[in-house]
Amino acid sequence: MKKLYLAILLLTFNHLALAAEIPVIAAAASVKFALQDIAQEFTRDTSKKVRISYSSSGNLTRQIQQGGPFEMFLSANSHYIDQLYQQHKTLDQGVIYALGRLVLLTHKNSKIQLDENLAGVKQALQDGQLKRFAIANPIHAPYGVAGKEVLHSLGLWELSRPNLVLGENIAQAAQFTSSGAAQAGLISYSLALAPVLKNRTQFILLPANLHQPLQQSMVLLNKAGETSKLFFNYLQQAKARNILSRYGYSAP
Amino acid sequence: MDWQALALSVKLSLMTLVFLLPIGIFFGRWLAYRRFIGKSLLQTVLALPLVLPPTVLGYYLLVLFSPNQGLGLWLANNFGTTLVFNFEGLVLASIIFNLPFAIQPMQRAFASIPSEIREAAACCGMRPSTVLWKIELPLAWPGIVSAMVMCFAHTLGEFGIVLMVGGNIPAETQTIAISIYDSVQSFDDQSASIMSFSLLMFSMLTISFTYWLSERSSHTHV
Amino acid sequence: MSDSSIHINLQQQQPIPLQVELQCKSGELLALVGPSGSGKTTVLRAIAGLYQPQTGHIECQGEVWQHSSQQIFRQAYQRHVGLVFQNYALFPHMTVLENIQQALTDIPQSQRREQAFELLKKVHLDGLEQRYPKKLSGGQQQRVAVARALARRPKVLLLDEPFSAVDQVTRRKLYRELLSLRQSLAMPIILVTHDLEESTLLADRIALLHKGEVLQTGTPEYVSAHPHTATVARLMDQQNLFTAQILEHNASTQTTRLRWRGVELQASYQPQFPVNTKVCWMIQSANVLLHRRDRPSNGDKENPLQGTIIEYLESNGLSQLLIEVDAELKVNIALNVPLHVGKRNKLRENEKIGISLLTEGIHLMPYQSLRRET
Repeated sequence: MKKLYLAILLLTFNHLALAAEIPVIAAAASVKFALQDIAQEFTRDTSKKVRISYSSSGNLTRQIQQGGPFEMFLSANSHYIDQLYQQHKTLDQGVIYALGRLVLLTHKNSKIQLDENLAGVKQALQDGQLKRFAIANPIHAPYGVAGKEVLHSLGLWELSRPNLVLGENIAQAAQFTSSGAAQAGLISYSLALAPVLKNRTQFILLPANLHQPLQQSMVLLNKAGETSKLFFNYLQQAKARNILSRYGYSAP
Repeated sequence: MDWQALALSVKLSLMTLVFLLPIGIFFGRWLAYRRFIGKSLLQTVLALPLVLPPTVLGYYLLVLFSPNQGLGLWLANNFGTTLVFNFEGLVLASIIFNLPFAIQPMQRAFASIPSEIREAAACCGMRPSTVLWKIELPLAWPGIVSAMVMCFAHTLGEFGIVLMVGGNIPAETQTIAISIYDSVQSFDDQSASIMSFSLLMFSMLTISFTYWLSERSSHTHV
Repeated sequence: MSDSSIHINLQQQQPIPLQVELQCKSGELLALVGPSGSGKTTVLRAIAGLYQPQTGHIECQGEVWQHSSQQIFRQAYQRHVGLVFQNYALFPHMTVLENIQQALTDIPQSQRREQAFELLKKVHLDGLEQRYPKKLSGGQQQRVAVARALARRPKVLLLDEPFSAVDQVTRRKLYRELLSLRQSLAMPIILVTHDLEESTLLADRIALLHKGEVLQTGTPEYVSAHPHTATVARLMDQQNLFTAQILEHNASTQTTRLRWRGVELQASYQPQFPVNTKVCWMIQSANVLLHRRDRPSNGDKENPLQGTIIEYLESNGLSQLLIEVDAELKVNIALNVPLHVGKRNKLRENEKIGISLLTEGIHLMPYQSLRRET
């Protein structure tokens, strides 16, 4: 029995020692698929690995404030990074690495009309076809804020409000929509372009002037080590930029 | 199947057991044998995690161990470590959250040992530590094992608390339950369904084993 | 203080009242007798060290086990006591042999098995060493409990109603075994029981316990014949217990005269009770004489009374009679005669009969109300 005890203790400490080598990076859920591809290329090119923790930008900001082990942060807006900079959690003010866009997403077989000023959505809300409309939670997800801004700009906020279902982050909002639980959703362009979604959904890109610019920002945090700094630079180079544009991100 | 997450979950469960075994035995015995002022208060507090929403516990742990103030700050200054968003923090949260699952079955197991048997052991010349080792533990063993099995299964499936106190950090706090959640959000239904099914099967095995054990122990008693 | 006996003195008000002072010599069997709730088990547990009374002094074979004023209290495992529990408390997860070996910690590992076998033989259980307690009969379990208690090489052997859980036949067998085992035991033995007959059979001395207080100690015969108080008499199951008034003490004739329900009785000289005061008195059934028609005797002249047989029972080779005496108020006296006497005199219910109360047998006690205590 005592031997079993010791073995378990050893296992765990061993695990902890290994884990400490690979840096943890906090990244907004919207950049998930793009970042995964970039990280793969990074490892192929430098033989170094990173671990990425995805959540809503607001959530990640809070975790960083509370001492999370993150070495770098990719936020879906620049506001959170400014906040962290003010709180002396970052090495510098960070950079804007891309601009994000919003799309209207529906299931492949949906009858709801896709158009840039959401006339189809308005119609569907009024005739009851659109029962649940997914956006990310505006309280802590930048893409949720953008979604809300779009609805305000088009005068649809009051109409759509009772039907809104809030995803904990933009990825969850996308999941609600792609599974059909929500009949339509305001989702990030980057996620809509992900191969897994291509087959089951359809979308239309929404004009950028309907919302505040989604300045995708990133910054190195105080704990940043060598590998993180390398990755930070890698993200600003050609290969990474190509991948980003493949996922609908435009240059800042 | 996210093997890394599964391995992490298993390690978390085992670490939790390593601490809960002595804690459970200590409190289980104490509550089974003694009457004292404040006993019902203690029992209530220890049973709280049964009904407490995990987010409440998670919230209080965050408040307590956040390195910006209080205990968290003291830990950061003196030991350079924190107890949030890392594996150790999860172990602590897991221990607290599983207290009633460990203590209550063990308490029942110890209480079912007739006090005369312990007294007879004392009259045989056994000091209290020997009585514990030779008499009480062997007789309470089925209850102890089933408590440990329940805790293991329960920890394996922990979600709310892990999300709040651990975040979603691969190889650190991304347990298999979180991984399932992650897969769903990544539209990876295949992974999600494989992992969910495995956990379902494992849970069934655990419960059956626990019932089988309690059947058995009811035969070996006086 | 003598060294090979045990001396016990326990005093306590709360939560269980105790007022106990006892001695037991090596080789002597003392029975603690009393109704349930009288505190007998508490006393035994205090001797074993399982219970700590407020004030106590326990010394056994020269060792001080408890001395409240000196703050000494030895835990149970530090005392060498052998305690046989009422339900035997055998370790269910160990074999008979292992059970006994648990108490053999004083002797080196290599000798334990052999010693355990010896003890098993002593209680006539050889052959059963590999059995588990749940596969043993009540009588067998009791013997294992005794063997385990003796394995401890105790300085005192304590038995807590060890025969209450077995049937009559087994009980008689176990009595015999205990009595023969006793011969070889050089230690005081204290037996707790509520069974008077058992205590009379087994004990050298008894201590009568009532509500935590030792009322009287002595040989069973003496306590039976000379109870200090009516309470003791009742606890000793004396049926012939009455009240009376002292008329006179006569030193020259060595008699005391009493007035009892309009009848004058003569008892042996017991001048400690003032004249004209009330007393309680009792007479053992054995001291009540039947007037035999076929064989009158001198005893017939002592305190003769007339009455009617209202109950006649034959059992155990005895005729048990209850006589309703013709007196001021109806009152009943119990007596036994050998069965053959009952038959020869053709005794049956509703027969008119004469009896005599032997003067020597009338024992006086301080007055107390004889209303039935709840």
